Amino acid sequence: MSQLKRMLLWATLVAVILLAGLSVCGAFLGAERAQAFFNSLPLVVYWFAAIALLATGIASFRRLLRVPSLLLLHAGCILVLLGAMWGSEPGHALRKRLFGIDKIPEGELDIYEQMQEDRVVVKDANDVRRLPFSVRLNDFRMEYYEPGRLFIWSRDGRDWRMPAKAGQTLALGGELGTVAIRRVFRNFRIDLREDEPVAYDEPGGSNPALEVTVDRPGSAPGKRYVFERRPGHTNPDDPLAMSYFRAVRDYVSELEIVRDGQVVAAKDIEVNHPLHYGGYHFYQQSWNENEFGEYSILMVVSDSGLNAVYGGYVCLVGGVFWHFWGRRTLHWFRTHYTITAKIPGESQ
Amino acid sequence: MEIKYTIQGLLIYITMAAYLPAFVATIARRTRAGRVLFFAGFALAVISFVYRWIHVRHVPLQNLFEVFLFLGVACYPISWFCRRALRIGGQWADMLIGAIVLFPAGFIFNAEPMQLPPALQCWLFAPHVAVYMLSYVFMLKATFQAGEHLLNRRPRVEETVIPPEQATYELIAIGFPLLTLGLVLGSWWGKLAWGHYWGWDPKELWSLASWLVYVGYFHWRHMSGTKHPRINSLWAMMGMLTILVTLLWVNLARIFAGLHSYAT
Repeated sequence: MSQLKRMLLWATLVAVILLAGLSVCGAFLGAERAQAFFNSLPLVVYWFAAIALLATGIASFRRLLRVPSLLLLHAGCILVLLGAMWGSEPGHALRKRLFGIDKIPEGELDIYEQMQEDRVVVKDANDVRRLPFSVRLNDFRMEYYEPGRLFIWSRDGRDWRMPAKAGQTLALGGELGTVAIRRVFRNFRIDLREDEPVAYDEPGGSNPALEVTVDRPGSAPGKRYVFERRPGHTNPDDPLAMSYFRAVRDYVSELEIVRDGQVVAAKDIEVNHPLHYGGYHFYQQSWNENEFGEYSILMVVSDSGLNAVYGGYVCLVGGVFWHFWGRRTLHWFRTHYTITAKIPGESQ
Repeated sequence: MEIKYTIQGLLIYITMAAYLPAFVATIARRTRAGRVLFFAGFALAVISFVYRWIHVRHVPLQNLFEVFLFLGVACYPISWFCRRALRIGGQWADMLIGAIVLFPAGFIFNAEPMQLPPALQCWLFAPHVAVYMLSYVFMLKATFQAGEHLLNRRPRVEETVIPPEQATYELIAIGFPLLTLGLVLGSWWGKLAWGHYWGWDPKELWSLASWLVYVGYFHWRHMSGTKHPRINSLWAMMGMLTILVTLLWVNLARIFAGLHSYAT
């Protein structure tokens, strides 16, 4: 091995160990600080050096050019790094300065139902910028796993849970008695009718609640309502505390992209199913509510550099599998299934 | 530490009760008995995994309990493949690994079924975790072989197996593509779920560190592996150390809170 090749290999080894060490350090910083650290100037120098090292390696080692799998996996690493640089915030800033391409790297778009919005709050910039099109939210909804669960705690630290279904009972034992779920409300309302409070389910809104009775030995059954979104009030003498919980199965925003008054794209976005349009991905990030009602919070992310990164992934995975698995498998088949031709006249 | 008085717990304990005698029988050179017990343990581990699947109604790879259950299943087929296709010895270690990985599932981790949060409802969920776990079993086997190499021990039972240092390389060469695929699938899924293919999350950084240690292993072995073969084995052991941190410490320690916390 020539001196240059040996030096390149040592440099690669040092670069790999350095990045592994920095990754471990970054893990202790937390995601936000780690991101800032890996985008800082010394690390930008490192990324450029890593690309240069990979490219020099490909040019210098004939084996890397001769063995397609090795070439593929090393080229894949270069593509991933280039794509990541192209899609980074400094990459966006550089493109704006050099080519005048002005894209929002990442931001947040808050939108009420039946409203249209094109203003994006840019991440980490205290700046509001406009998209070249509008986003309309037709409907936002949350879907839950059914049934929910009723959690019960006693004052002496014991706890129970039961499915939140009408007709379910749970014997807590001893003087705590039995808990029974009588009714499940999607939108709980209560009115006075003939001086009696009457609870009922009103269609349309959302105020999930349970009607629960507690039957203690030696006393009349007590009725109470347990709400999902409100803690309710607990009597200091009450030996039991309760809480109603439903796990969210999905958040869904029905979106339309409007450009020049025309709907040009539409999708019901949910977690793992973003909408892609005009160089941006729209993600269901969160939701909130205020005096004007519920609103959906969308994350807007530029897709710059993504194709290069994905292309790099394909090269990397393809190269690694071909090199370590494919070549071995071929070799195994060749050694185990060699075809032997019969020579005419040879004795049986 | 708690004993699980459930059918799930019972299945785990019986599986362990098959893997451990399999290990003892193999060490005592009762190879055939060891293999029969190992296979019986595998069959029980499959039943245990399927039982869990039916119970939670999704692929049981959501939390550490389910992941370790899966590891208990993966030991046997990987061991069989390595013995038959790669001529790698150390089946006693596979049996021991089977019992070791089932211990936390049986006695430490909470088995309470959990509903899948929205982010985990993706077709990439099962392949991402399964591919990683399979690679971890290969790397763990490689670590045992590296240990045998460092201790200068010769294969106990089989005479036809390849030397430990070569076996370490073969195992890492099989496991590394899976490790790479796991990393890439995770990145792709991260883009779909969270908007970024790389979020600088502690789990992501530790998994990158473990991938890089194996990258370093290959480069070192190519460069100076024949001159210093013992250092090759040290690299392999270092890789396993980072994998253990990625799998366990990152999920259990509060200092590494991040997007992957639901795996706890």
